[in-house]
Amino acid sequence: MKASFPNLGYDTYALKTFIEDLGAEVILAPPNSRRTIELGAMHSPELICMPYKITLGNMLEALELGADTLFMAAGARKCRFGYYHYLHERALKSLGKECRFIPITQYSPLEFVFKVMPDIFGVSPVRVVRAVAKMLTKSRLTQEFRQYLNRKRAIDFDGAESVKPKALAVIERAHTLRQIESARGEVRRLFNLNGTEPQIRLGLVGEIYFMIEQFASQEIEKELGKMGAEVVFERSLYRHIRHLLFSDPAFVRSERLAHRYLEESPGGEAIRTVGEAVYFQQQGLDGIVHIFPFTCMPENIALEALQKLSEETGIPVLSLSFDEHTSRTGLLTRLEAFVDLVKRRKLGRRLHRN
Amino acid sequence: MKVGVPRALLYYRYGRFWEEFLTGLGAEVVVSRRTDKVLLQNGLGHVSSEVCLPIKIMAGHLEQLAGQVDVIFLPRLLWLEDKLYACPKMIGIVDIARMMFDGRVPLVAPKIRGSLWLPHFLAGMELCHDPVRVVRALARARRFLPAHDRVPDFPAGEKRVALIGHFYNLEDDFISRPMVDTFTEHGYRICTKDELPGSVLRSRQGFARKIRWVYERELYNAFRFLVDKVTGVCVIVSMGCGPDSLVAEFMREEAQQQDVPFLQLVIDEHSGTAGIVTRVEAFLELAERRRAKAFEIADCRLAGRGKRPDPSARE
Repeated sequence: MKASFPNLGYDTYALKTFIEDLGAEVILAPPNSRRTIELGAMHSPELICMPYKITLGNMLEALELGADTLFMAAGARKCRFGYYHYLHERALKSLGKECRFIPITQYSPLEFVFKVMPDIFGVSPVRVVRAVAKMLTKSRLTQEFRQYLNRKRAIDFDGAESVKPKALAVIERAHTLRQIESARGEVRRLFNLNGTEPQIRLGLVGEIYFMIEQFASQEIEKELGKMGAEVVFERSLYRHIRHLLFSDPAFVRSERLAHRYLEESPGGEAIRTVGEAVYFQQQGLDGIVHIFPFTCMPENIALEALQKLSEETGIPVLSLSFDEHTSRTGLLTRLEAFVDLVKRRKLGRRLHRN
Repeated sequence: MKVGVPRALLYYRYGRFWEEFLTGLGAEVVVSRRTDKVLLQNGLGHVSSEVCLPIKIMAGHLEQLAGQVDVIFLPRLLWLEDKLYACPKMIGIVDIARMMFDGRVPLVAPKIRGSLWLPHFLAGMELCHDPVRVVRALARARRFLPAHDRVPDFPAGEKRVALIGHFYNLEDDFISRPMVDTFTEHGYRICTKDELPGSVLRSRQGFARKIRWVYERELYNAFRFLVDKVTGVCVIVSMGCGPDSLVAEFMREEAQQQDVPFLQLVIDEHSGTAGIVTRVEAFLELAERRRAKAFEIADCRLAGRGKRPDPSARE
């Protein structure tokens, strides 16, 4: 079996390890590029949201490289994401692509471990549990890597960018649990942060695909880092999977905090987006950047809540929606203006206090 | 007490039920005026520019009611039987309204989870504190719940077109007037999902079983039911409507397979009447031409020759 799956930012490595552990060969889709998104958009309904287009592009490119089995996450009934796989499957079929398409539904971890995975790969549930444990550890590693990277970028951008490939190589190399543990220390040493504090810190909230896959948001973390702002985030694959399997304290807290604005979950991750924003505000972060795909339903509801939060507490909020036509220049201008505003606010406050 | 009911979204399905229910509670019911340009413009300022047209209209209606009433009645539909969800925006509109008013106007927002009765009873208790009266009001309002159990007739030789769209779009004259008028002017009978019986709309056959949005399943089932009975299918989608963007795609494919003309109209607050009328007319012309061609082919086959039959003898 030559398995492939859509890219998922730095967590692609974690997913790759998972499938390799179950005994399949993994063919990674080429890194996301202009071509990926154009390929995807060409075969997508015009009004669908952007993650669909990129993931479809990934699949088509992976098939070109010889993959014969495609995995795709599925779930969340109130949000369009739950229906992606039907469309994906039909799109691939109508293009005449021969492949096995396996949607992996969320929200039933027991079934996943004892039924779905053993059936597909012909392995024992024990092996699946071990593979899941390893994937979790590895995705925690990538989460830490992202945190270090974002802080380092704000302090020393060129240094961070030169360390990044080295650290990624370390992450990719780590295969066993022990290696992953030692890789954690190595990544920390590589970034060599020594408790330096960046000038300003911004909280990043939004739709999960955009939070994880850097290409989708046009590497917003990098751009903000270049402008000297550390990007703090809470949403990650690690937390997401942990929340599905057990319960993630950060997510539970978000759901509690969001209740003031959203009484009922409108689906997707809107409630977490709002909860995280409230938390970041309480933690004294300097601003909030909210990213989501154009016409995303739950995040548009979250947007209203964030505006209200900004109105009530005075924390600056920048909401950005993306699709394949989002202009990079326009985005940079908005980010620059926002970072400028946040910096000035903070500096002004400090002057006032002195 | 004055209770406001916005004339938008769910009002077009449960409006009469609510009016009767609230009147039964002894409240004075104020329904917002029909949607117009000014109302929509007012609504635009309250919601993000990316949400769909019905939500923007809803914001306008809420704004209009704000000054005139003591309390606004705005039920929140979470899911109906069979765990079929409402769309995220419909769930979220109550929170948007709450944030919009900021406590200026209290909201009574029963949360509908599966059954209508308990949430409405509790909401009634909030308004009048007399359980007997609430139950009585509910019992009296009950007959105003929408219920169709008869399949409409589809006589042969009649020109029909299926207008597939959410009831809150089709029944809002402000949105649907240009399309409905154009179809009627050309002598077409318009078939919508709202005249079909519940047994058809709630069918779980085929792909419908996989659709977990309550109104999308209805749309899809209505489409499946009507597609072979009409000359053409026109689907009305609000710009930014998530569920429609998916389900319309499935409908398009099926219509193509069955060789039925298919038109998808995307509407938003900028869509001009002229543009819509042009598209609808072009669509009708195409549909008629295709129908004529189908007759021609059938006639030729009957005649057993390639000769063109006399057009006046047709039908």
